[in-house]
Amino acid sequence: MKKSILERALDPHELSVRFQPIVQIQGTERRLDSVEALIRGPRGTHFERADILFDYVRRKKAEAAVDQSCLTAICAAAQHLPSEVRINVNVHASTLGHNSSFVEFFHRHLREQSLAPERFTIELVEHAPSCHILELTTNIAVLREYGVRIALDDVGLGQSNYRMMLDCHPDYFKLDAYFVRDLSADSKRRAVVRSLAALAEALDSAVVAEGATSADDLLQLEEMGVPLAQANILCPALPLEDLLARGYMGVEAFDPSALKKSAKEQISACQPSRKVLSLAVGQSFYT
Amino acid sequence: MACRILILDDDEQLREAYRDYLLECGYEVDCAQELEEAQTLLAHLSYSVVITDLRLSKLAFAGLDLVKHVREHSLHTRVVVLTAYGWPELKAEASASGAHSFLKKPMRLKELGETVELLTGGRI
Repeated sequence: MKKSILERALDPHELSVRFQPIVQIQGTERRLDSVEALIRGPRGTHFERADILFDYVRRKKAEAAVDQSCLTAICAAAQHLPSEVRINVNVHASTLGHNSSFVEFFHRHLREQSLAPERFTIELVEHAPSCHILELTTNIAVLREYGVRIALDDVGLGQSNYRMMLDCHPDYFKLDAYFVRDLSADSKRRAVVRSLAALAEALDSAVVAEGATSADDLLQLEEMGVPLAQANILCPALPLEDLLARGYMGVEAFDPSALKKSAKEQISACQPSRKVLSLAVGQSFYT
Repeated sequence: MACRILILDDDEQLREAYRDYLLECGYEVDCAQELEEAQTLLAHLSYSVVITDLRLSKLAFAGLDLVKHVREHSLHTRVVVLTAYGWPELKAEASASGAHSFLKKPMRLKELGETVELLTGGRI
């Protein structure tokens, strides 16, 4: 019998991983801060698209099992990342909020793969209101003991709310693209982002703005003091070999002068530079 | 752009027979083997017609749940219900849930094709 989509999603070999840089946007040089690992589902199906895959996974109530499968696929892909590069991984809050087996799996699997937990940031994604906060915060505390950082994803939308900010003490607020897109042309969006940036600062968190669509948006974020950005205009999510080959682990890839070009033009314009790669990695803003 | 059809049936052989036939007719065809898979596809993609078996292996009449789901979430989509059961009560319930057509299995593929053609207004 043909495997179901869920059975395929539970096989890490059926998943593929893209990496999208998170870039420091303050100062004269834009530098790589970390990369977010993004999962794609079984090839040749509609479920290759992450939004469709994870909608299905949530309908099947299989978040915890699939989160483990995704972590396995990400760790395999991360073997080829420069060892200094930090990695962001999405995990459902419900996975951490229901039991501790994911934390045990996470720690055991990273040890087996010789990956340092300190390199990882777990991005909490949550689409369901039912989450056991005590279990979640306990598991977050254990992860922090391992050196893992915590990010709250999709801030401003759904369950990434004030309560989650207080309960989870995230190291990073990831502002949803909805608030960042066309920021430079929309004073109301600027008001929201400014307010979230101030809140993050008050809570000792750093802001990652997702989804800027223009150089003007990036400039606006920089002026607001937002330290980090993740956007296709800086670099789209790509297979690791493409990121490495195109020099996206380096400084030059994020040169503001290149940002007037479309992402596609940037990809073709960027040439690999091993020298730049070795200089840029490991200079994380927060280490 | 060709009309897109979604088939929900847990019987792989039947599912693929319907798919192959409708592809030959010129439609775009997606298949799902379980309710949640079909519901997810409906949430993200637009379908002209959904063809669903009424009885899926693990759930008694889960096809009816899909019919209701389509009615609630995708008003423009037409629904064809397939079943081996000829009970009038079942047909009435499927219609009340929003099914537009009801075919008793086994049926000829040509009959299925004609039903889809009728529901799409002859568009392919």
